Amino acid sequence: MTDYEFNVILDGAYPEVPYAGKRKSNYIELPNAYYDRTLGQRVLEDQLETLVALEGLGFDGAVMSEQHNGPIGVLGSPMLAGAYLAARTQRIRIGVIGSIINAYETPIRLAEEIATVDTMSRGRLIVGLPMGHGMQYHSLGVMNPAKARARFREAHELLIAAMTHPGPFEWNGEFFQIPYVNLWPKPLQEPHPPIFIPGGGSIETLQLVAKYRYTYFPVLNPRPVLLKNVERFREMCREEGYEAAPDQIAQVVAIHVAESDKQARLETEAHELWQYQNFFQSPMHDNFPPGYISPGSMRGILGGGYRSKPMKDMSFDELVEMGWVIAGSPETVAAKLKEQLEEAGARRVIIGANAGSKPRWLTMKSLTMFAEEVIPRLRPGGKPLWAERPLVGYDTQSEYGARRPADAPVPTAALGDGLVDVTTAHIQELREVLEPWPVG
Amino acid sequence: MPPASPGAASLERMWAHYSEPSFIEVDGLRTAYRRKGVGERLVYLHGGGLTRLWLPFLEELAADHDVIAPEHPGFGDTGSPETLEDMHDYVLHYDALLDAFGLNDVHLVGHSLGGWIAAELAVFYPRRFRSLMLITPAGLRVADRIAPPGLDSFRLEPEEALAALLNGRSDRYTEFFEQEGFPGDVIQAFTESTTRAKLSWNPRYDRKLDHRLPRVATPTLVIGAEDDRLVTNAVARRYAELIPGARLAVVAGAEGEPSSHLVQLEQPGDVAALVAAHIAASTAPGARPSAEANS
Repeated sequence: MTDYEFNVILDGAYPEVPYAGKRKSNYIELPNAYYDRTLGQRVLEDQLETLVALEGLGFDGAVMSEQHNGPIGVLGSPMLAGAYLAARTQRIRIGVIGSIINAYETPIRLAEEIATVDTMSRGRLIVGLPMGHGMQYHSLGVMNPAKARARFREAHELLIAAMTHPGPFEWNGEFFQIPYVNLWPKPLQEPHPPIFIPGGGSIETLQLVAKYRYTYFPVLNPRPVLLKNVERFREMCREEGYEAAPDQIAQVVAIHVAESDKQARLETEAHELWQYQNFFQSPMHDNFPPGYISPGSMRGILGGGYRSKPMKDMSFDELVEMGWVIAGSPETVAAKLKEQLEEAGARRVIIGANAGSKPRWLTMKSLTMFAEEVIPRLRPGGKPLWAERPLVGYDTQSEYGARRPADAPVPTAALGDGLVDVTTAHIQELREVLEPWPVG
Repeated sequence: MPPASPGAASLERMWAHYSEPSFIEVDGLRTAYRRKGVGERLVYLHGGGLTRLWLPFLEELAADHDVIAPEHPGFGDTGSPETLEDMHDYVLHYDALLDAFGLNDVHLVGHSLGGWIAAELAVFYPRRFRSLMLITPAGLRVADRIAPPGLDSFRLEPEEALAALLNGRSDRYTEFFEQEGFPGDVIQAFTESTTRAKLSWNPRYDRKLDHRLPRVATPTLVIGAEDDRLVTNAVARRYAELIPGARLAVVAGAEGEPSSHLVQLEQPGDVAALVAAHIAASTAPGARPSAEANS
């Protein structure tokens, strides 16, 4: 039996906004007068408390995304939530999937954040490297869609180099010129946390994931396109000289569980449609700002080969048919999910637990039923994967004492006649000069 | 892509105002251009669109000028080199293009983005041009918004863009905007706006022009519109303030119809006459740079 990995993603949408169908879009220029501080506090609390609760429910990973200037999500910097979860949970993996590298002035800053949160969480971090929706490219002032892919390529290489190559080293690139790349701190996981890359299906993305043996998760691909992309990904892994492992493929699907199929649909239908009609109601030029994709890709999209109709116009049945939503009784959900994962050869699933407007209690109802009644159907014993996975680093001070390297430099200071070992300098008998050093 | 053969081109490219481009190698880039007429040499730099066309106002000018209208790298039938990153690449490209043509003493006319390019050229090569004419130019930071509400040039549906360009009168000019049809025209526009984004996504102006424009040492005419909804009237006014001796001429629209950003499309005769008069004044015996100062 395949050991599936159950991750849950919450974007932290802010639902109290006008219907996007009455506007061009709820992205980019929905006035932030609609942002109410009380409602905003509640949105963040719902998102974070639900993510925290996943550990006790028995999920394997708690996941969030980066969103900007609009109600789709309130985490402009998901790494902050990663740090929060690191403190509030003990064992569950934390998926920051993730940080939009082009939103950073330098990928070194991201490397530092990754290292810090990975250390805080005892090696529980998973990092995602998305390009960011086209709609995100308007609001930060440091992202140019026409240069985004080239900058992403270099930023990714630099990020990985910073975490894997001994520093200091020079980086002399097209977008970044750094005389001293010298990462402090390093991530706890060696050489770095696992990396997930989302993709609509561009060849370039698939090649990158295959080359670096990352995990690929297709986003908003209609089912046949998803299967085609996954197959193409496997071929690319073969071209790289290896067979893709099942945990290199993660499937994203919104799931709602209730007592019956009918009840599940009643509970989630309007919320799913809220998301598709309010988030994906964006003009072509916002989805695909200039240069965000190649002219060839644009031709493919205009040719209708990608999605048969705009996402905002899809009915609930069509969302189910696309494979984007599974709603039903525990039995139905377990069967459909298993079928989808087997068909895609995916070991990992990223479950969309709340399309945005669903209240926390209803989200928790569905997640609880998934944990108690779906996971046991797919995983004998029901134990989360982290039950068998030791945390990275030390647990106790005694273990720290045993693990600390014997050959690390002794911290010294010039005091009196020379350099003294400061760790013992407070004891008169032990305060001795290690070597002469002129003082003053 | 340029057509495979003239025969194929004439079959495929039957749209209005199309004329077959010529090509010249500029630093290894096959650059499309159209050239017509005899007289003072005039180089016209197009804006963010209206490529693969020969515009009526150029036809008027070609009656007594040698009009050369190249297509920018990444626009029309000129390829987009890998090395194209920013405005300085355009400045060098056009210096090289003038060398390739063997032209040293031309009159430079630019519209919108082309006006911005022309201003940069006149800043970097202040003695290369006999005169400078900027038609509803872009590229300056002004106190007002760069993208007026609802008129961000990178965020307009095709019909919204046309409405903004022509102040709601685009239905009279459809012949200039329909070429291959769908999806070819959309892809061409996407490709050209990608080039424009490389140059001007962020920032959408060259703040250095404010202190560099005083370098311009050629007689300059700024041709503004009464209601430029896309770039705003303030930018044309500001160019005229910053370039020494520059004059601002606002072209009037038809009765009750304030002129638009595409003033050379709507008032081709008036714009051509202003350009011709400025060229004549700049080349008259005794004409010196800044001859029109304070006029």
